[in-house]
Amino acid sequence: MRPLSTFTAFLLICVMPLCGQASDTITVVSWGGAYEDAQRRAIYEPFTRATGVKVETVTYGGGVGALDRRADKERWDVIDMIEDQAISACDAGLLAKIDMRQVAETQQPLAVADDFVPGAFRACSIAQNVYSTVFAFNDRAFLGEKPATISDFFDLVRFPGKRALQRTPDVILEWALMSEGVPISQVYDLLSTDRGLRLAFRKLESLRGSIIWWQDVATPAEMLDDGRAVMASGYNGRFFSASQKDGVPITIVWDGQVIGYEVWAVLSGARDQGMAEKFLRFATASEQMASLSELIPYGPARRSALPRIGLHRKTGVPMRDHLPNAPQHTARALFGDALWYARTKTLRTKRFEAWLRGG
Amino acid sequence: MTGREPKMPLPAGNAVYRIFAMTLCALAIGFGVSLAAIAFVEAVAWLNNTLLISPRMRVQFDGSPWLIAVATILVPVIGGLLVGALLIKLSPEKRPLGPVDVLRAVQLSLPPPGMKAGLLSTTAAVISLGSGASVGQYGPLVYLGAMIGNMLDRLKLHIPNFAAIAMSCGVAAAISTAFNAPIAGMVFAHEVILRHYSIQAFAPTTVAAATGYVVANVVFEREPLFLVQFGGVQHGHEFVLFGLLGLLAAGVAIGFMHLTLRCSDVAGHSSISPVLRPACAGLAVGVTALWLPDVMGVGSEALRFATIEGAFQTWELALLVAAKIVLTALCIGFGFAGGVFSPALLIGILFGALCWMLVDATGVVATSGIVAYAICGMMAVTSAVIGAPLTTILIVFELTRNYDLTIAAMVAVVFSNLVSYRVFGRSLFDVQLAGMGIDLSQGRDRARLSTRLVSDLLIEDFARCRSGESAVNVWTGASATPRGEVFVLDEDRRLAGVFDARDRTGDPSAAVSSLMKPVTLVFDETTTLAGAMRQLEGFVGDVIPVVDASSNRFVGAVTETAVIKAYLQAVQELRREENATA
Repeated sequence: MRPLSTFTAFLLICVMPLCGQASDTITVVSWGGAYEDAQRRAIYEPFTRATGVKVETVTYGGGVGALDRRADKERWDVIDMIEDQAISACDAGLLAKIDMRQVAETQQPLAVADDFVPGAFRACSIAQNVYSTVFAFNDRAFLGEKPATISDFFDLVRFPGKRALQRTPDVILEWALMSEGVPISQVYDLLSTDRGLRLAFRKLESLRGSIIWWQDVATPAEMLDDGRAVMASGYNGRFFSASQKDGVPITIVWDGQVIGYEVWAVLSGARDQGMAEKFLRFATASEQMASLSELIPYGPARRSALPRIGLHRKTGVPMRDHLPNAPQHTARALFGDALWYARTKTLRTKRFEAWLRGG
Repeated sequence: MTGREPKMPLPAGNAVYRIFAMTLCALAIGFGVSLAAIAFVEAVAWLNNTLLISPRMRVQFDGSPWLIAVATILVPVIGGLLVGALLIKLSPEKRPLGPVDVLRAVQLSLPPPGMKAGLLSTTAAVISLGSGASVGQYGPLVYLGAMIGNMLDRLKLHIPNFAAIAMSCGVAAAISTAFNAPIAGMVFAHEVILRHYSIQAFAPTTVAAATGYVVANVVFEREPLFLVQFGGVQHGHEFVLFGLLGLLAAGVAIGFMHLTLRCSDVAGHSSISPVLRPACAGLAVGVTALWLPDVMGVGSEALRFATIEGAFQTWELALLVAAKIVLTALCIGFGFAGGVFSPALLIGILFGALCWMLVDATGVVATSGIVAYAICGMMAVTSAVIGAPLTTILIVFELTRNYDLTIAAMVAVVFSNLVSYRVFGRSLFDVQLAGMGIDLSQGRDRARLSTRLVSDLLIEDFARCRSGESAVNVWTGASATPRGEVFVLDEDRRLAGVFDARDRTGDPSAAVSSLMKPVTLVFDETTTLAGAMRQLEGFVGDVIPVVDASSNRFVGAVTETAVIKAYLQAVQELRREENATA
């Protein structure tokens, strides 16, 4: 063994400087806007300070197709994805398979597996934060009674006005069933049947003509602000930023929120996988997760980060109250089943497009 | 004697010891049963997911319809083959066990079937449910609970009625865990299993039910079976509709129970090997499920859809009710291991929803929506099938916490039970037991007396003689025994008549055969205490002869006093059980 080990060490010494040269920058892909600003301050800049490696950022709008089209051309290394899309991309061989348990930094005395949220480690990805899709309304649109439950989103009589929705079958079908009185725990079971899908589309049909579709994650808050819509679906962090930073008068309704994990993954064509893993290790440390949560209310994906979260860096708002996984918001929260989303995407999209055409 | 000796141990120690020991046992049973029940339900769910039975997994393979079709047909068939092999080849009982066996053991103070049969039956139930057979999970859970409860009987704690109470504790914990309904669990144990209310049994079953609830609800945070939102009954006239729904539901329940019994008969007389019977039922389920996937398994999705207006078309509901009735009867009759409780819930809720749709379609009567009718239908059918009106009413109350809905269900349940009791019997379990020769319809005492035989009370000190002997010989011989009756036997030891040795007016040299009288009352080895008591009415005499029923040969004799004493003792045992406090 000894000669081999010596030889390996020699090889490493030869190769390492090469790695260093190739990896003085790393390309990290994320979603832009308020979210990426927060990531820059909580993760990218501290990473550069700690390692000397410059982070180049690229913005994308989610989806698996983007990886296929742009990743090689734009030399992507690390990407921030929605969990179910990461599963699909992993299955398609677009992401590198890495043992993420080894990548994550242990925060004593908790073992890594106990520290992270359940199901945090997948073949190609590691959970980094907990986000939620909620609906919010413009305070000025409803001066008397305010929407409070997911059923109110579908109630055009009591709460008339346009609804801004993402042009995807995700979340809206779940909300449709919840508004029919289906308990949160049975939403996926029922939506897995043809009958459940029919019921959900029947409910969605009641909104036809009152929906404005959005595709860019920044737009729902703008639509609420400029009065194009009175209610909108969107990510909780975006709505928070719009109301805190830009002063848009919107209120988030947590009832029926769909909680998902945002994950980090390494592209299969990454230039330096070692550096990419180093970045992931840094980005998923408790300190960075807590820093991010102080800038934008996405919950940390590990328990040890929770006590570190304090006030919002600028506004002084206690951030723990605004996290999707804050106890007061989870009584009627649907925890997303990423595997189900990934595997049913084709079916749901097909039915959704057919419904759209039917209008 | 058919079972073990009636247990009449002297209570060990004082009441404090017995209360303490019983409570500890109830805690242990509640804890153990709850964990076992959760493991059972989880195992079934895991199998459903792995074997592509649950819709949530099936939809994920939507792109490969052939895979789904093959799994739909093959999984229940292979599951049936496994169940058939397990039960027929390995189990000493050669059949699945369920509430009927618990009821028999508790009511007649008999030992339940052995541990091996119980474990095999439970495994067979997990496979049956896991592979999508149209059977229920509560029957096997009830048996599992009773089996775990009965394990503590080995501790020999010398507490009167321990085995029956321990089994009831297990049943209470199982129902409490499965439904998240501790009050219903405790009442079910009394209403269906114990059939009496004594403080001695009440306290431990309550402890076991509460423990089961705590484990399921607090420790594991399990979701209740169903959650519904209901605004309340808006019109007074609807209670008439609930009553009518109850009457109709009784018809559905009676049809379902008759068909289940009929399928068992047909299976018993069919030329299909018992090992292959469940697979045949599995094939029927699989083929039907290709067009009607809701028939597979417990059907919790269909259960939920039934409470949503517009989820089903009227014809879909009618078809599904019929299919579920036929397939469940087939699966149970043809030997799948599983119960009738959850299928009854599903059939009932679909039937209730169907009735509401028909009423609503007329547009004549205003109603408060589908939920109340669906729940009423569900409980009305179920209570008739399992013979537990109080339990079903309490399940509604505990699961929905809705007073209006509970009252509505109560009305439907009462009318349903009234009809099915008159037309069919107290429950499917009772009628199945009656088929095994145990009739509980005349009360517990009659049933228990029916299991005790007079042939266990045979005495030795009575006189008998040959028919050719002279009267004087018999007079001399009979003077040694205290009784006057002398039984006269022919050459083949068959009973020829009875000769009264106290009456010495006849010719001393004459053969007794010319002086004897015909026997007015004869018992045989099958005569039970209950039967004997009925026949003793109007009997004059001390001793009753017992003969072998097939050969008519004389076996021995019993005294009238011994029969009455045994009867009084059996009745006293029951009274003591019912009035026991510790």
